[in-house]
Amino acid sequence: MKKSVNKILAGLMAVSLLAGCGANSQSASENQSPAVTQGGAQNGSGDSHEEEEVVLPEYIEFQRDNPGFLPVEKDGQMYNFYKDILGFGVIMPYIEWNGGTTYQEQINLRVTAGQAPDVYVVVNGMENQLILDGAVLDLTDYLQEYAPHCWEAVDESIWNLIRKNDPTGQERIWYVPKVFDYQSHGAMIRQDWLDTLGLEMPTTQDEFVEVLRAFKNNDPNGNGVADEIPTGGRAEARWMDYLFYMYGVAMYEGFPCWDLYDGQLTYSAVTPNMRDALEWLASLYKEQLIDPETLFNDKAAWDGKVSSNLVGIYYHLPQTDYIRAMDIENATGAKADFAVLPAISANGYEGSGFYQAVRSGDPQYVVNYTEDPGRIIACMKVLDALYDLDNAETFKFGVEGMYYTVNADGKKEYLPEDKSRQERLALSVYDTVANEEIVVDMLEDIRSEENGWAVDHSIRNVREIQQYGRIIAGNNIPNTIYEDYEDIGARTLYVEYASKIISGEWPIEKFDEFVEKWYASGGDAVTQRARTWYENLNN
Amino acid sequence: MKGRKTVRKALSGDSLYSFCVTLFLILFGIASMIPLASELALSFSSKAASDMNAVTLWPVGFTLESWKYMLSQLSLWRSFWVSITTTVIGVALSLLINVLMAYPLAKSDFPLQKALMLFVVFTMIFKAPTVPYYLQIVKLGLRDNYWVMVLPHILNAYNLIVMRSFIRGFPPDIEEAAAIDGCGKFGTLFKVVMPSSKPVLMTVGLYYGVTLWNQYHNPLMFVSDTKLFPLQMKIQQILNSGGDMVAITKFADVNYTTATLSAVVVIFAILPVLIVYPFVQKHFTKGAMVGSVKG
Repeated sequence: MKKSVNKILAGLMAVSLLAGCGANSQSASENQSPAVTQGGAQNGSGDSHEEEEVVLPEYIEFQRDNPGFLPVEKDGQMYNFYKDILGFGVIMPYIEWNGGTTYQEQINLRVTAGQAPDVYVVVNGMENQLILDGAVLDLTDYLQEYAPHCWEAVDESIWNLIRKNDPTGQERIWYVPKVFDYQSHGAMIRQDWLDTLGLEMPTTQDEFVEVLRAFKNNDPNGNGVADEIPTGGRAEARWMDYLFYMYGVAMYEGFPCWDLYDGQLTYSAVTPNMRDALEWLASLYKEQLIDPETLFNDKAAWDGKVSSNLVGIYYHLPQTDYIRAMDIENATGAKADFAVLPAISANGYEGSGFYQAVRSGDPQYVVNYTEDPGRIIACMKVLDALYDLDNAETFKFGVEGMYYTVNADGKKEYLPEDKSRQERLALSVYDTVANEEIVVDMLEDIRSEENGWAVDHSIRNVREIQQYGRIIAGNNIPNTIYEDYEDIGARTLYVEYASKIISGEWPIEKFDEFVEKWYASGGDAVTQRARTWYENLNN
Repeated sequence: MKGRKTVRKALSGDSLYSFCVTLFLILFGIASMIPLASELALSFSSKAASDMNAVTLWPVGFTLESWKYMLSQLSLWRSFWVSITTTVIGVALSLLINVLMAYPLAKSDFPLQKALMLFVVFTMIFKAPTVPYYLQIVKLGLRDNYWVMVLPHILNAYNLIVMRSFIRGFPPDIEEAAAIDGCGKFGTLFKVVMPSSKPVLMTVGLYYGVTLWNQYHNPLMFVSDTKLFPLQMKIQQILNSGGDMVAITKFADVNYTTATLSAVVVIFAILPVLIVYPFVQKHFTKGAMVGSVKG
């Protein structure tokens, strides 16, 4: 009985696969502009005399997040701008992003309907299913020849990692990754508050707590009201990562990560380190050294508090702290000096303190499956352009008059942001490739007379934070380890326990119950997969 | 002395009950107004006040900047126009189609009545899954098409049943009288039945109107042309545009924030409904009862 059911299932799968292929090839031909000849596709041999017939499509569709700018439409200004650079146009119709969730739904629907964009960003591990469904192009054989900048920009170890993460198990390359080669996140402390109170920069946990107490009680913002919030973060125990790092807990923007504990790759949320960290956080919360609203803050609320001269230490990107400083100046007139808080180790965890390095190798772009050689080459050209640092400036400034003007010194100068008339800068090298120098250059570009002092602090902070970055062992672990255990991937259980322990609703003893539940609800299986992945990677 | 007696009298029995109910409803009404009032206050507040979360129910640092900025946005007015026209056209078409279908379905001598009704109820229970629905709409050529915001909403099974129930309760004698006077089926429907069906037309019209005005999911799936965005999509776009963007852009010295702009748009989108609702309300209560008593 079971056998026959299996046969039927296998048959159904085969039919759906065939149907899938049909849809793909159909979409490929439908998307073709009339100018494309199909010589190469029909023969598929790739002989040199055939390649000469390959004609690039008139345009391709590219997709990534669009936070409210105008779409890039055919024959529009940005369309022609890209056409001049690439030899073919690029369109980017508007897709609602909504934290990636709506975007993912929309892309999946369009893939199903055979109308997927040609090159697009992948989010939340969506690439795995796309790869298994045959919806995206195998890039392995094209990268070196048609996207050399991409091939070179990505370190060989990252390519290996991508091959190892291939969900089909064939070690092919299905996507191109982010290349973020610098420390982007860190905790910023109000140096001017320290100075006002005559305090030194804290370097130990005890000193750190003393500073928090002083921030709370000694009115460093000088408005005569005890309204200061020493530190805090956002809902779901997010954006307080630096407090966890003191205990060696691997975490990315509030998501516990995988790192080596006792020599074994382990989910940081279920380690004794996490237990100690939560216990300490609960004590800080009780003493109101952490924002009492920290578990309710959304981005706007937390940013608002930082921007209102109320927060002593916050965790975010040093490259953007000048925005907060300018906000504070506009609101209160105070010139805030955010400085980098050094990595601190908790008592009993000496040497464990760190800042987690951003994850180079995250899946970034995929190419829609097509057999049309012209379209393949065009897509590869786009990928190549996204890793070519020579394009970075051009892409960043876009069309003159829309995004920038040229000042008297012949230097490009940004115009104020105006989403009602600016088309999205679809292709951006800096969203794909970033390092310390690039970020500093970008900051230099936006420096003006009014914001110079704040931008200089940002630049100093970007330079300084670099020394503390550490890449964790579970860097780029694929989302597939959470398959069938989505709750673990979404860290639902962790958020509940962490929030209730921090807020004092539950005692720290409850943590042991969490660990038990976590392993029982699939943590065992996920850990097994994670460790297998790690072993494969290092063999 | 007399006054105390009156008070006691007023508070006794039924009066006490209705006093409590009224008080409760007033409190409930006020509670419902609070979020609206707070948004309204925020829309007139300055950037600094918004950043500090200092606004509660009264504007802090009063400014018209947010309103000026938003109302000068062509795209907002365009979305407003799209929403208005889809709602008006949609409601008109919906009512026409509903009446034309509900009338025969209300007549027991119509031979296909039962079979057709089965189809209607079927769609109430079994909804098309997202992917086939998406494919079907795309196949019909409605992607990035204005009509995708009108046509799929035109017939709603629940509303159809409400209308059918109402028409069923219409006295057959009057229809017979009309027939004797030489009125055909269409004549009876449009000249006799419809003019007396104002409550149900208003109610069903309002249901459709609210659905069309508030529609978000359909345009989200099928409209990527920003010129065709209805108001709700536009709001979402504005709300999200200040999200987790890390990009470094030039610091612009303005006196509004994403929060104050969002507040403006929210008020802007609610206003038409707030204005229309009181006029429809008296019919609405009458019509909404229809479905509940007659099946």
